[in-house]
Amino acid sequence: MKCEVCFEFLEEFLDGELAAEDREQIDAHLITCSECSESLAVLTAEQEIFARYDREVEVPPFLWTRVAAHTVSENRVAKRGWMASLLGRSSLAGALAVLLIVIVIGVVYLLSNHKAPEQKLAKSPSQLPNPNPVPPAVQSGAPKRDVLASSHKSRSRVRSPIVRAVTDQSDVLSSDLGYLDMDEQDTAKHIEQSKLLLRSIKNVPIADNDDEIDVTYDKALSRRLLNENVVLRRDAEMKAKFPTKTLLTDLEPFLIDIANLPDRARGEDVRVIKERVQKTEIVAALVDYQDRGTNNR
Amino acid sequence: MSAFAGTLMNSSADLVTRVCQGDADAFRLIFERYSRPVISFIYDMVNDRGLAEELTQETFVRAFRAIHTMRTETKLSTWLFGIARNVARESLRARTRANSHVDLEDKSVMDLSDNKPVPVDGLLSKELNELIRRSLAALDEDKRLVFTLKVLHQCSYEEIAAITGFSLAKLKTDLHRARAEMRKRISPYAGVGYEV
Repeated sequence: MKCEVCFEFLEEFLDGELAAEDREQIDAHLITCSECSESLAVLTAEQEIFARYDREVEVPPFLWTRVAAHTVSENRVAKRGWMASLLGRSSLAGALAVLLIVIVIGVVYLLSNHKAPEQKLAKSPSQLPNPNPVPPAVQSGAPKRDVLASSHKSRSRVRSPIVRAVTDQSDVLSSDLGYLDMDEQDTAKHIEQSKLLLRSIKNVPIADNDDEIDVTYDKALSRRLLNENVVLRRDAEMKAKFPTKTLLTDLEPFLIDIANLPDRARGEDVRVIKERVQKTEIVAALVDYQDRGTNNR
Repeated sequence: MSAFAGTLMNSSADLVTRVCQGDADAFRLIFERYSRPVISFIYDMVNDRGLAEELTQETFVRAFRAIHTMRTETKLSTWLFGIARNVARESLRARTRANSHVDLEDKSVMDLSDNKPVPVDGLLSKELNELIRRSLAALDEDKRLVFTLKVLHQCSYEEIAAITGFSLAKLKTDLHRARAEMRKRISPYAGVGYEV
């Protein structure tokens, strides 16, 4: 084999893309040709340099949370039962709402007419002072939006005791009934407190003279949150709530570091944690998690 | 048992099947397995860390929505890289060429060609990493694409052809030229090189 031919195939040889027969021929030539061997050595050295290229690019902790929000979480919401799905459809929900309003208006209208039968027999409606049993908007044929608004007030006045009994549980559950379970509430509260703690660390002023900083409160809070975090993270894993589990896993090292600070920490130690909070954007991930929770509710 | 136990037993094909059957955890495993190579590849293409994160997110969202269309004979990594390539290309086209282009004679690149010792072991020096990054950014898009896939991600020619849609002849030519250009930029610093 001539050197020119060998040289032409050298890159493919290095890439392992040559057929066995061609490879053997190159191998044989390289044994006898120092010039081509040297060229291969240069290519190999080059390859090694590129193999050690470090982009310093990491997958940020919040990335899965964001991906999940647009993929698996959406699917889970979509599959939350046929009833929820049916009620969730705006057209059906709208139709039911209009039907309910019509019934309420009808009931109010009948009740009010029942109170003044004599007047109705004696005079025509236009001659009577308006006792206002029916919303004016209904009489005048005003836009539907107004009808709905006024009838909504009527509906709220005559809502049944059963409806009241259910809705009055607002002091027990802070959000939509049946949607947020107790674990989610605990996690939401935990995330909120952790966010405030990390923001407090992020905003702590550090003097250049390396004065000690009193972190007694942050440290005590972090210890409590750390215990909570371990429990919530395990629960999230058991219940296959992976975005939550990932977030709590990412949060834990920060809580450990803050919990392990001395009461009067060196400025440098706090600075390291502070910089890591900023660099990893853990606070943004916590906020992102909260936003998604709010939007889902 | 941990939800992640048995991760190693999940082949990519199994994971794809499970995702198609509605198994959300399987998609999480796919993300864990491929997010790092995907974000690295996108970063190599767009040369912007924040943008690479956004585009990686977009890649996995598109992958999730289209995974049921993936053919069984297709390799998952090749398919994901193909989506990542499209996402990166769309983004690159939206940017002005002037922002991403580094001139061949860029002083800041060539200034690094001093007499510093050639790194032999361990990580490359920061300067050389920076030089490679900038040199990659200076390649035109097709060359950067094949160089990144072959040299930095060790894809086979067949995989590169599947990801890019390039013919074998084109990708070999682009790869050869990309190597030559990269060599021209890094050889003064790294001490490798010969006339091509």
